Amino acid sequence: MEGWDLLAHGLGGPADLPIPPELAIAGAVAALVVSFTILAVAWRSPRYDAATSGRPAPAWLAGVVDHPAYGVALRVVGLLGFGWFCLAAVLGRDLLTNPVFGMFYVWWWVGLVPASVLLGPVWKTISPVRSLNAGFARLTGSDPDRGLVDYPDRLGHWPAAVGLYAFVWIELVYPFSTELGPVRLWVAAYVAAMLLGGAVFGSTFYERADPFEVYSSLCAKLSPWGRRDGDLVVRSPLANLDTVTPRAGLVAVVGVLFGSTAFDSFRDSLEWIRFTQASTVSTVLLDNLALLAFCAGVTLLLAGGAAATGVGPDVRRRELPNLLAHSIVPIIVGYIVAHYVNYFVEVGWDTLVLASDPLSNGANWLGTGDLDRITWLSSHPTFLASLKVVAVVIGHVVAAVAAHDRAVRILPRHHQVTGQLPMLAVMVCFTAGGLYLLFAA
Amino acid sequence: MRRVALLATVLTTLLALSGCGSDDPDPDSGSGSTDSGRIEVTFEGDEAPEVQRVPVAVGEKVEIVIKSDQPGELHVHSDPEEELDYEEGTTTLTVTIDQPGVVDIERHEPEALVLQLEVS
Repeated sequence: MEGWDLLAHGLGGPADLPIPPELAIAGAVAALVVSFTILAVAWRSPRYDAATSGRPAPAWLAGVVDHPAYGVALRVVGLLGFGWFCLAAVLGRDLLTNPVFGMFYVWWWVGLVPASVLLGPVWKTISPVRSLNAGFARLTGSDPDRGLVDYPDRLGHWPAAVGLYAFVWIELVYPFSTELGPVRLWVAAYVAAMLLGGAVFGSTFYERADPFEVYSSLCAKLSPWGRRDGDLVVRSPLANLDTVTPRAGLVAVVGVLFGSTAFDSFRDSLEWIRFTQASTVSTVLLDNLALLAFCAGVTLLLAGGAAATGVGPDVRRRELPNLLAHSIVPIIVGYIVAHYVNYFVEVGWDTLVLASDPLSNGANWLGTGDLDRITWLSSHPTFLASLKVVAVVIGHVVAAVAAHDRAVRILPRHHQVTGQLPMLAVMVCFTAGGLYLLFAA
Repeated sequence: MRRVALLATVLTTLLALSGCGSDDPDPDSGSGSTDSGRIEVTFEGDEAPEVQRVPVAVGEKVEIVIKSDQPGELHVHSDPEEELDYEEGTTTLTVTIDQPGVVDIERHEPEALVLQLEVS
């Protein structure tokens, strides 16, 4: 089976049908209208404040979540999952039926988003690299939170942006993405980098540089779960989103996340397939350039849209992109839902079936090997298309509100409305562009 | 900085160029054609014809007529996947897809996507 996947076919069989043009247009118009309505009628003084927002979570819930045993149990779950992955990756066979691929591309990458949006910062709680780091620290009698040196502020989220790019590269561009060797090597490099980083910089490294923890914790800001002075609180997702700490490189993180997902739709379009097949330049090189162009393009547009405003004396213009980057997270999540929902349900479920036989020897260790497939969403394409458009539009509305609240906080009064226009235009471009790609793919 | 600007310009131009293709397949340039439920694909040597996307109905019996100067194999990325052999000369293959979606049909050796069935 070597090589037949050169078209980076990836996992899963048929792709979703394109969404009908009238739905795409309706979604884009709704996004446009809602954006300007928000700008015209919404509040003029900032509403969200991390220091005061949120109600304390019910005492029993806080009691469970804050109990040390709960944390340990989740770490064990994470380590068991990682162990299962390693078992299949090291001893399993190099077949598409090896559950490794589904665990890597679907459970880990796609599943991280719904899990974090519903439950909070999931990866931070189950991350096997954090657990291993804590284990090493215990063995050597040191503190896992502290490393040899402090994590430099200048690095910010830049390493996470690079790590996320490395993931989307192997997923979307690398021609042998569904062969065992490369996936094993990628994960080994990730684990090595994370353990080294943790040893040098302590746990702060995971919070800022682990691509999966950064992604998961960003998505978790759309969940109702937050912390205020260490206490578990329940917040509206909008208030929660406002508590994202702006750090160097945040804008690149969101740029890679949105740009790569847009590229994933784009590479399925008939125009791109025809162009790359007709071109004498290798498809892999063209895909590489296009992925880079999408990620860089989104990042630059976003930075430009955020910075193109009048500023007051207390905010520097070059800080604006990172101060506003959090507002793109809802657009990313909405688009991820649209792009992946059917894939996640169907291939994620198939992976559960395959996971019961990690060594491809016909075993059924988990008892899930005989489960029926789920094809409901594929069989109801109109519902699926509507769900996609609704997800994109909701993401856009939440994003516009988040950006508005941040703008009225940081921009001087006479720039508060006009200063939002470039960013709003960028958001409308992202949303309309995303809908266009869902229609054209 | 100027290097970055140059790179950005090159990439943007590349992207813009790639988007310039027309939506309608040119009837003369492709070596494939369709009429209801019957799709013709011609392979000459290792040259792959331009990818066609053909709308078909769920459960419809789709005939794919392959004209080729060498035997080969098509891979239908339906669920479950199917492999179909064709001979030198003219071979008629039949595919039925029971689930809505876009199904890729690829040729092996040389690798190329040749057909997409838009099943709805």
